Amino acid sequence: MPGQTLAAARAQCPALVSVPDDPAADLALLEWLADGCDRYTPMVEARPPHGLVLDVTGCCHPFGGEAGLVDDLQHRLTRLGLTGQPALADTPDAALALARYQLCDVLALPVTALAVPEATHLALRRAGLKHIGDVARQHRPALAARFGADMVALLAQLLGDVDIHVVPRRAPAPVMAEQRFAAPLAHSDAALAVIEALAARAALQLVQRAEGGRRFEIALFRSDGHVARLVIDTAAPVRDPKLLIRLLRERIGALSDPLDPGFGYDLIRLDVSVTAPLADTQLLLAGGSLAESEVSALVDRLVARLGHGRVRRLVTADSHIPEQAAFDLPLDIVSTATGDMQSFFAGEPPVRPLKLFDPPQPIDVTAEVPDGPPRRFRWRRGLHEVTRHEGPERIAAEWWRRADGQGLTRDYYRVEDGNGRRFWVFRHGLYGAEKTSPVWYMHGLFA
Amino acid sequence: MTGFAELAAATHYSFLRGASAPGDMVATAIELGHAGIGIADRNTVAGVVRAWAALRDAVEDHGPIDFKLIVGARLVFVDGTPDIIAYPATRHGWGRLCRLLTLGNLRARKGDCILNFDDLLAHLDDLLLIVMPPALGPVACLTPLSLAAPGRVWLGVAMLHAGSDGRRLVRLAAVAAAAGTPLLATNSPLYATAAQRRLHDVLTCIREKCTLAEAGRRLVANAEARLQSPVEMARLFKRFPEALAESANILARVDFSLDELRYEYPHEPVPPGFTPQAWLEKLTWDKAHKHWPNGIPEKVKSSLAEELEIIAKAKYAPYFLTVHDLVAFAVSKDILCQGRGSAANSAVCYVLGITAVDPSKHNLLFSRFVSEERSEPPDIDVDFEHERREEVIQYVYERYGRDRAGIAATVIHYRPRSAVREVGKVLGLTEDVTSRLTSTVWGSFSNAMERRRFTDAGFDPDAPDIARLADLVGQIMAFPRHLSQHVGGFVLTNDRLDEMVPIHNAAMEDRTFIEWDKDDIDALRLMKVDVLALGMLTCIRKAFQLIATHIGKQYTLQNVPDDADDVYDMLCLGDSIGVFQVESRAQMNMLPRLRPRKFYDLCIQVAIVRPGPIQGDMVHPYLRRRQGIEEPEYPSPGPEHPFDELKTLLGDTLGVPLFQEQAMKLAITAAGFSSVEANKLRRAMATFRNVGGMEHFEAKMVEGMVGRGYKRDFAERCYKQIQGFGSYGFPESHALAFARLVWVSSYLKCRYPAVFAAALLNSQPMGFYAPAQIVRDASEHGVDVRPIDVNFSDWDNGLEDGALRLGFRQITGFRFAWAEAMLSARPFDSIEALARQAHLPDRALRLLADADACGSLGLDRRSAGWEALRTPSGELPLFAAAKARELGDEPAAGLPLLTPGEAVAADYQTTRLSLKAHPMALLRPHFDDALTCAQISAAKNGRKARAAGVVLVRQRPGKGNAIFVTLEDETGVTNVVIWARLFEIFRRPIMASRLMLVEGEIQRSPEGVIHLMAARIIDRSGVLDLLSETHAATPSPLRSDEFIHPDQPSSYPGARARHPRDVRIVPRSRDFH
Repeated sequence: MPGQTLAAARAQCPALVSVPDDPAADLALLEWLADGCDRYTPMVEARPPHGLVLDVTGCCHPFGGEAGLVDDLQHRLTRLGLTGQPALADTPDAALALARYQLCDVLALPVTALAVPEATHLALRRAGLKHIGDVARQHRPALAARFGADMVALLAQLLGDVDIHVVPRRAPAPVMAEQRFAAPLAHSDAALAVIEALAARAALQLVQRAEGGRRFEIALFRSDGHVARLVIDTAAPVRDPKLLIRLLRERIGALSDPLDPGFGYDLIRLDVSVTAPLADTQLLLAGGSLAESEVSALVDRLVARLGHGRVRRLVTADSHIPEQAAFDLPLDIVSTATGDMQSFFAGEPPVRPLKLFDPPQPIDVTAEVPDGPPRRFRWRRGLHEVTRHEGPERIAAEWWRRADGQGLTRDYYRVEDGNGRRFWVFRHGLYGAEKTSPVWYMHGLFA
Repeated sequence: MTGFAELAAATHYSFLRGASAPGDMVATAIELGHAGIGIADRNTVAGVVRAWAALRDAVEDHGPIDFKLIVGARLVFVDGTPDIIAYPATRHGWGRLCRLLTLGNLRARKGDCILNFDDLLAHLDDLLLIVMPPALGPVACLTPLSLAAPGRVWLGVAMLHAGSDGRRLVRLAAVAAAAGTPLLATNSPLYATAAQRRLHDVLTCIREKCTLAEAGRRLVANAEARLQSPVEMARLFKRFPEALAESANILARVDFSLDELRYEYPHEPVPPGFTPQAWLEKLTWDKAHKHWPNGIPEKVKSSLAEELEIIAKAKYAPYFLTVHDLVAFAVSKDILCQGRGSAANSAVCYVLGITAVDPSKHNLLFSRFVSEERSEPPDIDVDFEHERREEVIQYVYERYGRDRAGIAATVIHYRPRSAVREVGKVLGLTEDVTSRLTSTVWGSFSNAMERRRFTDAGFDPDAPDIARLADLVGQIMAFPRHLSQHVGGFVLTNDRLDEMVPIHNAAMEDRTFIEWDKDDIDALRLMKVDVLALGMLTCIRKAFQLIATHIGKQYTLQNVPDDADDVYDMLCLGDSIGVFQVESRAQMNMLPRLRPRKFYDLCIQVAIVRPGPIQGDMVHPYLRRRQGIEEPEYPSPGPEHPFDELKTLLGDTLGVPLFQEQAMKLAITAAGFSSVEANKLRRAMATFRNVGGMEHFEAKMVEGMVGRGYKRDFAERCYKQIQGFGSYGFPESHALAFARLVWVSSYLKCRYPAVFAAALLNSQPMGFYAPAQIVRDASEHGVDVRPIDVNFSDWDNGLEDGALRLGFRQITGFRFAWAEAMLSARPFDSIEALARQAHLPDRALRLLADADACGSLGLDRRSAGWEALRTPSGELPLFAAAKARELGDEPAAGLPLLTPGEAVAADYQTTRLSLKAHPMALLRPHFDDALTCAQISAAKNGRKARAAGVVLVRQRPGKGNAIFVTLEDETGVTNVVIWARLFEIFRRPIMASRLMLVEGEIQRSPEGVIHLMAARIIDRSGVLDLLSETHAATPSPLRSDEFIHPDQPSSYPGARARHPRDVRIVPRSRDFH
């Protein structure tokens, strides 16, 4: 029921299965279906959230007329496990409206089928004009005087009084270069050379546009009809053909299923489908290039070689718990973490060590109760006499993450032994209040 | 180590920062053995009176305690200065602190306090200052401050276990030494014990608008920011014992306590040359002679003399004069008003025009209400017309000045709904879970989130998330959320108010309020005058005016005749729609049982249908005695006591305590309470919302009565009855004043039904019923009701040859200015004429057409609407010059005619009433097996029946054993009773129905009160949609929370987007109030 909350619906029907709304996936599916409809007509328009408009004028004879085409489409949708509501009409608007209301007569449609503001629907219905037919009977100037010329125009579209066309959906790539071959090209190396030439041609276009490419799609059309597609994404806009070829080689080298030219390629096309502004780079006077672009070139190479998710970087997280205050993420995932490194006051020593043990290592400690610093401790069989110490830094457990809502408090100490080595140790549990004999851990080493 | 006192304690009045009540902080400090405590909240002193009262109560209960409370505020600056805690050392210092906070408060729009370091420097007198340094960084303000206030500045240091405490302490000691200020050891506690850490984390998240999982380091890392024992403090500060000793030093230097805030009445109401008492006496006698020109009745004369004597003894004269001053202003502006409360029931108040209850006719014993030994301030609340109260409020500000008059604060507490919503959000629960939980909250009186609520909503109360939610909600409930202004309690002083308490800007323009609420004001014994708004007074004044204009009689509250049998006859029938206080379903059912025949009966009627008397089981004994089924019994105490002490006390109410005052008198007289104890009992009864506390009095009361020679079971019964007042007791002193308004409104309804209906409609929103019921009731009483019409109606509903003509104000969304413009531009002959002559915008035209108000133009709703759609607003200059018609003729549109159902639905949506038909009349064919309400009313006891109707009201009073639903159809109303166990089965239809079908059995009481005892409930709301296709019915049936709290906007998405008019066919029922 629209507007009902999930909790309310669950209360009525405990076995309810719920799936989160995913408009992006829905749109992707719709686009995919639209691609498939290319088989009927090139004039296909996707009308999100769930409409497809096909201009089938003159396209029906292979399917034995309009009804045959509809049957074929329905049959294919059913095979995909989808249900479609087909409607045929003189204009796209009318067809969509008829499909939506599951009617076959435009005049029987409710006035809500008109794409006008809700207030107009209400006014029409208040006047007793409930169907498009009722509205259509009205004198057009009288309607225009009340609801504006736009409403009359929309009505005309719905009634088929004016003709409008389907907007085809595929937008060509902004930059494209292709090469056809009279005799199929049978070697991958030769293909790469062709691609490099295509890249050089594309680079010229890009320079004119003062842009670089973020996504390069290479389509290798084999003479037997198979199409191999390679896609290269870059972290920063690029247009250097050499760089592109290097990335392409990395990409091909990393393919689990190597390129098979078979009987050879008869068409190779390079689409630069995503572009971004890129000014001419200027080298520094002192020599060398910009460090930023070198890093991103390295990152591109590493990602192309190792794959997504394998190149990672450290990010900080906002938490009192030391081991949760930093973690690593795939490079291309934008971090939502709010943490930043703890700021230091001039002259204060670092409060966190560089090296953390995961998990912390238990140690034997002699210390004063209730919350005195360790006097000496045994770690990895070595006995350490504590000569200097600071603390405690008391960090309580994150009670809300634990089912029992409890958890032990830690008392961290920075300690130095007789050899000048500095350690980070903690007592797990407050003496007396939480534990009778708290356990100690070694959590990290200061440099 | 003794002698340590925590001097930087925050309470939950540091909103969303402190996690313990002031009383808890004081109690814990005493328990831990502190020498004292300093309460300092963020830029406020809102919590200090609670702390002071908690200590006072502890001393009253346990005898003297060696513990000193000092009060101040933690000043938080906007210019980067670290927080500075200020404690006034003297009364003068308190005045400076209040002025400083007022300055900061009035700079801010609302709820904020904007302070700079320079402001503090300008208000330094007699303040002891503790600088609270930031965790890192320098303390630049220390040196200038200690130069400006030598010997009065300390540097506060807390050991919060941050890892480098020792180093920081040494550094701060050096800073303090360099500035020449001593170091003060503190723990800067945010709560009393470690147990409140979780709550504090939750509060932090609410403040930061994040969930616990997201909060990270915005939370405090550990639970150390609590009250620590002196031993622990000594251990933490063992290297700086002198820092610990400073706390005792500060304690000793503070020579100020809230007891010193002495109250002085404003001098304005007393002319020069008079003492207040002399002026009051002169006023009283002058006015008495004027009121009774043929001689003051003996009875009144002696009452006046006696009362004036009591007033003189208690020094209440300035208070009466202040109230009289307000009333005199209202009278001069023709604003109707009436006083109520303990001091209001006096001959003096009647003579001064403060009340309308005539002492010559009713037995009012002033001394019964004002006792001399209780030195509490007298209590008079004055009700004014709700539409004109603002004039009185602005008069008060003008007369006494904003620096001497302020409205009391109301502390807005967390309620179950807000607590669940906010805590749920912090715990990361989705909104649909929390809204489902809150949707089962019944009514506005429920204050606890019981376990059952969770099971009701379909959640396992033992699931960790839910258990955590329940636990935290339980803790946060009754936490203050923010301060707001009280509805109308004014504090007036003779000296500057802002030297007594800080003043805030209120959200409403031209309003300021003080930081203390009514309990604080009571505790400090300040004087408060309540300037309240009452809708019925507006209604009565409008009725008086209509009568004066159309009938030519001049009525006032005082001169409405006191007895009229036809009026009592009407009330005895339960015919009371629109009458003040006795119009609810429960009151209507009580009227035929109680059968009021005199003024005091009305007073009882007002008080008896309340949760207090109902839960105390006082209603039935009283009714039985009244009907003569049972003899009143007045048990006597032991022979050494007066044998008829109970008869004196309870004689008026036939031996059943019905009023709050009787409960107190019973405690004093029969149980031997001292007046201090009785006062506590009164407080426990008054603060029923926040603290329980009544159970403490059980043993005392029962043993006291047994000790005096009463039987134990009688004593226990008395206690049980009084305990009922814990949930809601009504004071007789207020009931008397209300009873007068009951009488006046009944009189108007009975003798001038058309006038009364018009006045009620013109005073909306008020009262219990919607316009549809008021109009219907009027026509049932023979009033001719005429529809709204562009050529005949006014803005207000009015009289037209004795008939009621509905006014434009009934049209939802219509504006007063449009109506004004229409009046001067009449007559109209077309829609276009409306637009041109009255310059109405198209929205106004459409509303008029939609409300079917164009009858005199010969246009029905549909054609008028079609015409209005094409009519441009205003007048084009060219056509105006030519005086020509602008719009050409059109071919006939041939619009279909409205069906009766469509017409009725549209009527309800535009004007919330229909003169054409009741929706049920049109839907009757769908309910041919159901009886009409009229048939139900005539049916025999025990008959099985089905009834269908539009849901008017759903209520679940008292303990909630039964739900009462009132259904309405074309013939009348039926009252349905649903037992609670049935409710569990039919929860959904009960909550969701707008049109309900009920199967059950008819129960008829001997007095003729009829109920349908439900056995099965069916939601037939869908049938309403059949009335009209053009108006979409409510889309989702599960909108129960909206029905429970119709005044609160729903969280249901999309519900707000739609204009209510376009959604509902039937007006929303009024529920659960």
